[in-house]
Amino acid sequence: MLSRKRIMKRDHEEIYGATGYGSGSGAKAESSSIGNPDKGKLWEEEQDAGGMDELLAVLGYKVRSSEMADVAQKLEQLEMVLGTAQEDGISHLSCDSIHYNPSDLSGWVQSMLTELNNPATSNLDPVLANSDSNSSILGQINHSEPSKAQYQQQIVVSNQSQVYSDDSEYDLRAIPGVAAYPPPKSKSDLESTRKRMKTSIGSSGSTGYGSSSSSPQEIEVSGAVTESTRPVVLIDSQETGVRLVHALMACAEAVQQDNLKLADVLVKHMGLLAASQSGAMRKVATYFAEALARRIYRIYPQDSLDPSYTDILQMHFYETCPYLKFAHFTANQAILEAFATANRVHVIDFGLKQGMQWPALMQALALRPGGPPAFRLTGIGPPQPDNTDALQQVGWKLAQLAEIIGVEFEFRGFVANSLADLEPEMLEIQPPEVEAVAVNSVFELHRLLARPGGIEKVLSSIKAMKPKILTVVEQEANHNGQVFLDRFTEALHYYSSLFDSLEGSGAAPPSQDLVMSELYLGRQICNVVACEGMDRVERHETLIQWRNRMETAGFSPVHLGSNAYKQASMLLALFAGGDGYRVEETDGCLMLGWHTRPLITTSAWQLSNTELTRELS
Amino acid sequence: MQHHHRNRHRQGQETVEENKEKRPKFFINDHVDILVEILKRLDGRSLGVAACVCRLWCTITRNDSLWEDLCFCHLSPPPSRVRSIVVALGGYKRLYMACVRPVRSRLGKVRGASWTRDEAQLSLSLFCVDCYERLGGVEGSNSSTGRLVGESSASSLMFLCKPVNV
Repeated sequence: MLSRKRIMKRDHEEIYGATGYGSGSGAKAESSSIGNPDKGKLWEEEQDAGGMDELLAVLGYKVRSSEMADVAQKLEQLEMVLGTAQEDGISHLSCDSIHYNPSDLSGWVQSMLTELNNPATSNLDPVLANSDSNSSILGQINHSEPSKAQYQQQIVVSNQSQVYSDDSEYDLRAIPGVAAYPPPKSKSDLESTRKRMKTSIGSSGSTGYGSSSSSPQEIEVSGAVTESTRPVVLIDSQETGVRLVHALMACAEAVQQDNLKLADVLVKHMGLLAASQSGAMRKVATYFAEALARRIYRIYPQDSLDPSYTDILQMHFYETCPYLKFAHFTANQAILEAFATANRVHVIDFGLKQGMQWPALMQALALRPGGPPAFRLTGIGPPQPDNTDALQQVGWKLAQLAEIIGVEFEFRGFVANSLADLEPEMLEIQPPEVEAVAVNSVFELHRLLARPGGIEKVLSSIKAMKPKILTVVEQEANHNGQVFLDRFTEALHYYSSLFDSLEGSGAAPPSQDLVMSELYLGRQICNVVACEGMDRVERHETLIQWRNRMETAGFSPVHLGSNAYKQASMLLALFAGGDGYRVEETDGCLMLGWHTRPLITTSAWQLSNTELTRELS
Repeated sequence: MQHHHRNRHRQGQETVEENKEKRPKFFINDHVDILVEILKRLDGRSLGVAACVCRLWCTITRNDSLWEDLCFCHLSPPPSRVRSIVVALGGYKRLYMACVRPVRSRLGKVRGASWTRDEAQLSLSLFCVDCYERLGGVEGSNSSTGRLVGESSASSLMFLCKPVNV
């Protein structure tokens, strides 16, 4: 590349020295046959260029050498305007530009400038590479000393010093549609030469500067080397943050409209934008981008992963942030108050997992003024792939603890694929005179919404168990809307808040716990965004929606008392970074949120009076 | 605390030297009950320091009842069942070190300030969860499926150990 340039430089000197050629010569060089940057051939063609700039002739542009400076200046102006106008609504011009006549570069630049002065929103095909590669080549020309002898050298050392932040945007592979891969017959030569020119310049430029174009965090125009009068442009992460969110939304919209090609492009783009972010934003964006990619390419995540793996992830989530602890403590308080006078109690846990909720309840029961009741626990869990009886192991541990603290304890485990498969008779529930029943569900009920009729069946089963109290903890978000885009937007806001809170609570070095917690949430994100139908189990709904459902099914709310509120507040105060967490009481339900955004809700229910009378009749 | 002890000792010695014939020697270690009464009223850190004084003091401070007063000093006498439960779960000293002390410091309680029943209850609950985690797995579980049970150390109280963001 360098050697060829020097050849051309010398040649150019000769041309100008000769004054034979130059302006006025009308001989047009053959552009169509140029496709082969073979040195020998070029040399011959240079001789025949007839006043046209050789370098551009290779690209297929016919520009008189005498006009070069002028053209370069115009291109420079164009680039300045485009670069500084990123967010001004004419940024589409930087991406979408139509090249009217490949041979009339000067005229094209002129038209671009006039268009910019009167921005017209025309539907333009993106022929991106043209404008870009030209500007990158020619843009430097004006900056050298006026002597033409030097400008070709400038061409060599120019790197991607455009004012645009993101080289990948102009990576030909990332451009959608016809423009990047035009009908092979006509323009392929031109395109391929441009490609080659661009990449070769890129490589020479990057070796010169050491700045790679792969993941730009900031792109500084190193003015020193090119003696550039262009101001240094720093793209800060806030700007890319906004662009990242826009890209996410645009991609989701594309998926919604089934425009998968555009979505594909945007997903790749997002990956690079996300790399420029840091902290919670980056993680959220990465997970959402991955989920979108899965949706686009139909690589659905297998939900049938080892349940013990999800248990482990949830344990880490339990340890790093207060959400699960809050859920457990508030639900326990409600159950404790409901069991105030009972001698035999029976708790049915819809998702036993590691049983972390029950030690605290047992201890509180043990310290009850009248002494502990007989405590019976029925734990329900998913089938384990390796046939180990996970439920029994947890039950055994709980039994040990019960023995230590002196509480009469009985455990039974039930394996079920889905809660809807349960029949109340299987649980062998005693009538209410004998034992007080509590049903507890932490993040389990929303899964039933995937199956039609699932939730209704489970609620009627619960009614058949005649519980004294039903405690429900659910995420406070609507991720079950009909429209994908709405779900996506909701989920983006929800998980952004959640990740923010994780970020605030963790110690400075990202601990393994934090990573695992994020992974736990990431799987939820994947499910919400990428899956559909029966696979999409993370169908979160808001308190209002749940309340409607419960009241329709025949439950009435039980107010969580001030004890629960106090305990919850104290618990949150213990967490480092705890000032971000907020406990709110809404209609007797407790919501835990991060700053202004409520994230999970604990609510308690009992059979309504109408239900009770119906039972009696 | 050590000052106090030394002072007394010195005083005792001086007194002894001055009034050899008139008063008997006074050496605090001879009066363990008084010593216990004094140590009962100390805060956690001082108790720890006291444990380093001499072997007798070390033995005394290991006594769980000292720590019980530390945990529940300002509460009305808790029901007797609390003691049996706490002792069974690991003892008052453990309760103090693992739960009460970090909880108190996190909630901004000045030493000796009122320690409400709710706070005590919360500490107990957290302590119970911690004990539960430390329990071993099933006796006959030969197939170690890499589960948390019995393998990893209990970490539900990890959030209390992290430095508070100031």
